[in-house]
Formats: sequence, structure tokens, C-alpha cells
Amino acid sequence: MIKYLRAYSISLQETLQRRSTLIMDRVGGLAVVIGLYSFWTALLGDKTEFLGYTRAEMLTYVLLINVLRAFVFTGRGWMLVGEISSGRISSYLVRPISYQGYALSLDLAQKTVHIVSALLEVGILAAVMRGGLFIPRDAATWLLFAAAASLSSLLFFFMEFMVSSLAFWTSESGGPLFCFELFLAFAAGAFFPLDVLPAGLRRALDLTPFPYMVYVPARIFLGKVPHAEAARLIAVEAAWLAAFTAAASSVWRAGLRSYAAEGG
Amino acid sequence: MTQALRRYGRVWTRTASMAMQVQLTYRLGSFGFLLGKMIRLLFFFAFVVAIFNHVESIAGYGLVETALFFLTYNLVDMIAQIFFRGVYGARRAVNEGDFDFYLVQPCSPLFRMVFSSVDFLDVVTLLPVLAMIGMTFARLPAYDWTRYAAYALLVANGVAIVFAIHVFVCGLAVRTQELENAIWVYRDVMFMGKFPVDVYAKPVRAALTFVIPIAVMTTFPAKALLGKLSPSWALYAVALAVVSTALAAVWWRGSVARYTSSSS
Repeated sequence: MIKYLRAYSISLQETLQRRSTLIMDRVGGLAVVIGLYSFWTALLGDKTEFLGYTRAEMLTYVLLINVLRAFVFTGRGWMLVGEISSGRISSYLVRPISYQGYALSLDLAQKTVHIVSALLEVGILAAVMRGGLFIPRDAATWLLFAAAASLSSLLFFFMEFMVSSLAFWTSESGGPLFCFELFLAFAAGAFFPLDVLPAGLRRALDLTPFPYMVYVPARIFLGKVPHAEAARLIAVEAAWLAAFTAAASSVWRAGLRSYAAEGG
Repeated sequence: MTQALRRYGRVWTRTASMAMQVQLTYRLGSFGFLLGKMIRLLFFFAFVVAIFNHVESIAGYGLVETALFFLTYNLVDMIAQIFFRGVYGARRAVNEGDFDFYLVQPCSPLFRMVFSSVDFLDVVTLLPVLAMIGMTFARLPAYDWTRYAAYALLVANGVAIVFAIHVFVCGLAVRTQELENAIWVYRDVMFMGKFPVDVYAKPVRAALTFVIPIAVMTTFPAKALLGKLSPSWALYAVALAVVSTALAAVWWRGSVARYTSSSS
């Protein structure tokens, strides 16, 4: 366990060391949130409610997107693709560590930095924009939200890990990963609440794990889901996580079997 | 002059042909990237259309007008993606020493840097955008030809400003050998151009008009077509393109003058 903590610590230092990259990442993310926040503010106009969301709830949803994107969608899938394609992965495979555990440690370090930055940004935005903010009052909602968001983060890690592992078989796995990440962002509700979509499309998405990654945690936070229902949704999310953990591990093992490295 | 243009035309055709061969060779990767780009375009378009099932207007604009703003953003962005794709590899070209070769070739290093790659996947994605722009034009009242001319001119003007930004990013790569995220920050900030600038609060609107002129690149052409852009603003847009291109050229020359080679 200590070696993974050490990897986490080193990665945390490295992320903080590359300040210009971090700041640029955050500026980019912030621009998306300001864009969406302004769009929804203009759309709401004088309305007190839209699609079942009050003004404060809708604007809080947009700010939550920034926090959840930082916590859930920060990953190192592209690094993994590069490491497999270039053969750098070999140096990790001979070390006495589990690559998945190592990757998860690095992932958590990046998420730590990004979530702190996102919370700061959201705090500043909420103060400046004055659109109203919805804050849950009961501890149970906070706990359920934290559980759903944590599972989302792990679910994304294993999904991305699985798609990136395609690099074992093809040097072209960047395309599928790009496609997966874009589709995921939309299908997860990371640009807008899925309530906007036609009912048929929404029902189809409900059969997939995607809405559990942003939309469901956000609705739990906003108190749109009764606690019992939230617990059920979290159980479904946990089942998706178990399925993707198994699938990612199985793809990884199969990939390692087909992996060949040449040279030093 | 004609001879130089012909030479540059030949260089561009050769590099474009090579880029196309690469994209055709990497079929799975190219398909993934193409699908991702289509998903991004269609999901956002579906979002805009879905929103208008619930509201009449946003910031005073109806569905067709909002679609025009969104599609104009895509038009400017995709033209830049198609022609200025080389900038995405600028830092790598500097770090790996390719830039040293650019400097000794009988061709402008800036030309090699910016135009050294052509994204044909965006050419494919541009086709539905052009079709949708045609459909949007058909749903708008028939305007005088001068409005369409102003639209075309301001789209070209927007592309010129985007070019200046890309040159600035190239200069940054040459000066610092890092800041690889600079171009991605630009892409994220460009996200704000998806919506008409009128949705933003006054200070943000001012920033998007005078500091990071995304409004000038994406909103102004659509406003000109709708007859909502005064001649003085159109003049400002053209002046901005001239000044920013000139400043970018100065910045680039300064960057190359400071360059001391960073590899091999």
C-alpha cells in the first residue's frame, strides 16, 4: 500500500510542479462553465422554473458540472495509450506493482488537485454571478452525493482504462478513446441535464452506465431523488462499477498476453 | 511572387496529400475521431433544438437565429482545424528538432509549422455544417446580397483572427518549448463562441469582444447577416484582424530570433 501512496504523493507534487499546465487546464474548464452558466442564465430569463428545476437548482447543476468533470473525468487514458504504443509500459510491467493500482494512484493525485481547483472556481463563480445556489441541508444527501460521485470517478477510471487498453491490439486506439470521451461527456449530462433530451432517448440512456457519472450524482445533490431511490441508484452504479472493473481487468490481462516488446 | 505562391502551393499539396494518406491508413483511428467530431456536432445541435421545445427565445434570438450562431461558430472553428492543424504539433516539432529542419528549408518555417498538416476528417465534418447553414439560410427571410457578402467577409475575417492566435501559440512553443496546452485552452475558450455573445454578462461580453475576440470571430458574422451589426463594429472586426495578424507576425519573428535550438 505504501508504494501506491508514494506514487500518489510523487504524482501530486508533479502535478503541482507543472503549474502552467494546471492553470491552463483549469482556465479551459472554467471557460466551458462560464459559457454554460451564461447560456442557462439567459435561457431562464425571468422564469422561476425550467424542466422541473428552479433557477437556483439549474445554475447549481451547471456549477456542479465543473466539480464533477474535475473529479470524474480527470484521467490518464491518453497517457496509457502512449505508454502501450511506445512500449514504455514494459518498464512498469517488470516492477513489483499492479499497474492498475499504480495508475489509480496517479489518477487520484490529479483528481485531488483538480477538485480543489474546481471547488475554488465554483466558489468564486457563485459569489460573482449571484444566480442563486442550491445547497443541500441534510447530511444524508451529502453522503449519498459523495458516494455516487466516488463511484462515478472509479467507474470512469475503469471504463477509460478498458478503452485505452485497446492500444495492446492497435496503434489506432486514440480514435475510439476520443469518440468514447466525447460521447460520454454528452451521455453523462456533463454539458446539460439529460431532462432536456426527448423521453425516448433518455430512457435509452438510462439503460447505460453513462447517466450515473454526472446526471445522477447532480440530481442527488439537488434533492431531486428521494433518499431510498438514491440508495437504489447507487447500488445500480456499484453493479456497473463491478462489471466494468471485471471487464477492464479481463481486457488488460488479454492485452498483456498479446503484448510484445522489442529492444531496450 | 507568383513563383513563390506556386512553390508554397506545391508544398501544401504535398503535405496535405501525406496527411490524407496517414488518415486513410489509420482507418480505425480516423473513424473514431470522425465519429467523435460528428457526435459533438450533432449532440450540441440536438441540444439547441431540444431547448427550443421548451422556450421561445434565448437572449432575444429564436431557434433559427440561435442555430445560425452555433453553425457559424462551427464553420470558423472547422476551417481553422482543417488548415491550421500543424499548430497542434508545434511543441513536438520544436522539442524533437523538426523545427531545426524547417529553418534550413527554402520555405517559411511559419508556413511549415502552421500548414504542415491538414485535417481531412474536419473536411468531412464540415459538409453537414455547410448543409445545415444552407437550411438555416432557407428558413431566414431573403436578405439583400450585401448581407450574405458581409457574412462571408466576416467569417473570413474570423478565420484570420484564429490564424493570428495560432501563430501566437506557435511562437509560444518556439520561445518556451512547453505550454503544450495553450492550443487546447484556446479550444476550450472557443466553446463560449457556441452561443451568441448577447447571452453573456456585460464584463464577459466586453472581454469576448476586446480581449479574447471570440465574439468577433463567431457572433459578428451571424449578426451581420441578421442585420444586427453596425458598420462601425464591422470595421472594428476588420481592423482587429489586420492588427492581430500584424502583431502575431512580429511575435513570431521575435520568437524565431530568440530560438537557440532545443534538441539533438
